Amino acid sequence: MAQWKRKDLLGLYDLSAEEITFILDTAAEFKKVSQRRVKKVPALRGMTVVNFFVEPSTRTRVSFELAEQRLSADIVNMQAQASSLLKGETLLDTVKNIEALQVDLVVMRHSAPGAQNFIAKNLKCGVVNAGDGAHEHPTQALLDLFTIRERLGAFKGLNVSIIGDIVHSRVARSNIWGLLKLGANVTVAGPSTLVPREFEEIGVRVCHNLRDAVADADVVNMLRIQHERQNSGFFPSIGEYAAWFGIKTSTLRDMKPNALIMHPGPINRDVELAGEVADGPNSVILEQVTNGLAVRMAVLFLVAGCRK
Amino acid sequence: MNSYAQLYDAEQTMRGVRELARQIERHFSVPRCDFALVGIHQMGVPLAKLLCRELAAGGRAPEFGQLDITMYRDDIGTRSMLPRINETVIPFDVNDREIILVDDVLSSGRTIRAALDALTDYGRPGLIRLAVLVDRGEPEFPIRADFTAFRVTLPPERKVMVRFEPDADFPAGIFDVNWHRNQ
Repeated sequence: MAQWKRKDLLGLYDLSAEEITFILDTAAEFKKVSQRRVKKVPALRGMTVVNFFVEPSTRTRVSFELAEQRLSADIVNMQAQASSLLKGETLLDTVKNIEALQVDLVVMRHSAPGAQNFIAKNLKCGVVNAGDGAHEHPTQALLDLFTIRERLGAFKGLNVSIIGDIVHSRVARSNIWGLLKLGANVTVAGPSTLVPREFEEIGVRVCHNLRDAVADADVVNMLRIQHERQNSGFFPSIGEYAAWFGIKTSTLRDMKPNALIMHPGPINRDVELAGEVADGPNSVILEQVTNGLAVRMAVLFLVAGCRK
Repeated sequence: MNSYAQLYDAEQTMRGVRELARQIERHFSVPRCDFALVGIHQMGVPLAKLLCRELAAGGRAPEFGQLDITMYRDDIGTRSMLPRINETVIPFDVNDREIILVDDVLSSGRTIRAALDALTDYGRPGLIRLAVLVDRGEPEFPIRADFTAFRVTLPPERKVMVRFEPDADFPAGIFDVNWHRNQ
């Protein structure tokens, strides 16, 4: 594929392997921009991007904001707490009002799965999904894919294990779609309450034992365990979760010596991931952050570039 | 369907490349090796490689770089699709360097405008010159080539293409394409 034709990025489920590769190739060139003394290109000069975060976010929003600045776009940040959603306006009315201000792109996070798909259908301007409920977080998965490809080259036959709260995770879902399309073998692992057998139906291996999940893995992607799940009865205690499913320095002995350890952040040190492992030689966690900027620049450039 | 007509065959095109190399040699008449050739994607890159080879045969060893100008285009957001971005590699310090931008065809001049912006984001070159194999003679911007081998006058809807043999870095010829935009 030599061309990009979408005005929105809503999820990896919709994309072909060629389109995903196209984004990763584009991101590789944008990564170089941030390594120059002049860390900026005029690609989106004169365009306006609204970052509309109906659900709170720090790192994703900062990464998007920086990506937009490095593309020379003008930026407006909107948060749910300050928006008229609180005054009873519907979501569609809010974004229609944003669009009426001649905005070119809306980057949106929302707690309702599919909110961005609904908005994209009703707006002429481009929409980038920055996370919708437990549905998709495409730019996070793309930065994970970018990091894996940069380190390991190709996806065919690669074993990737995603460990943690799979059922509530949009990061896991987007990663699963992307990895499967690119030919990797995916394992999801964690307590059975958080990793239901039903995931086998989409072509991934389901595992309820950490050692089995990591033994053959080339990549281990650890998800953040959310403390509030403990109170909902998904597992007895944080300590017990850490004991059964946390990666410790001793876990590394059961793994391939060069396996990559990834984490979308923020890390609960010594819960899902021991501090020594997060800071150790297998960890590519900070590379993920660097690559996230490049991937978001590529995505914004592509969707803004072919709107008309 | 696009229709192709050959304007110059492979032999004539190669003679044009050598002529371009000679012009560059004359311009940098004091033997020096510190100038650089930067080819603009797509066809400026194989052309710049070929020029480097010709200049090396004459005892020069210019540095070689390649530049993609997609992020600097002036029509982003007006197109229905975006092409793949090619690799930019500038393996030398641009500051104070004498640089020759190389492209196959000078048409509107917009590519060169974008290339100047892109290149100056890497540093402050001492001098930039432009070498093109084909000059169509009617740029939309006040941009002129310093070195050129062929001048071709054609109606604007016709496209001039320089083609290279795949993997051989040898020109296949220069063609007049009756261009039907279907995008």
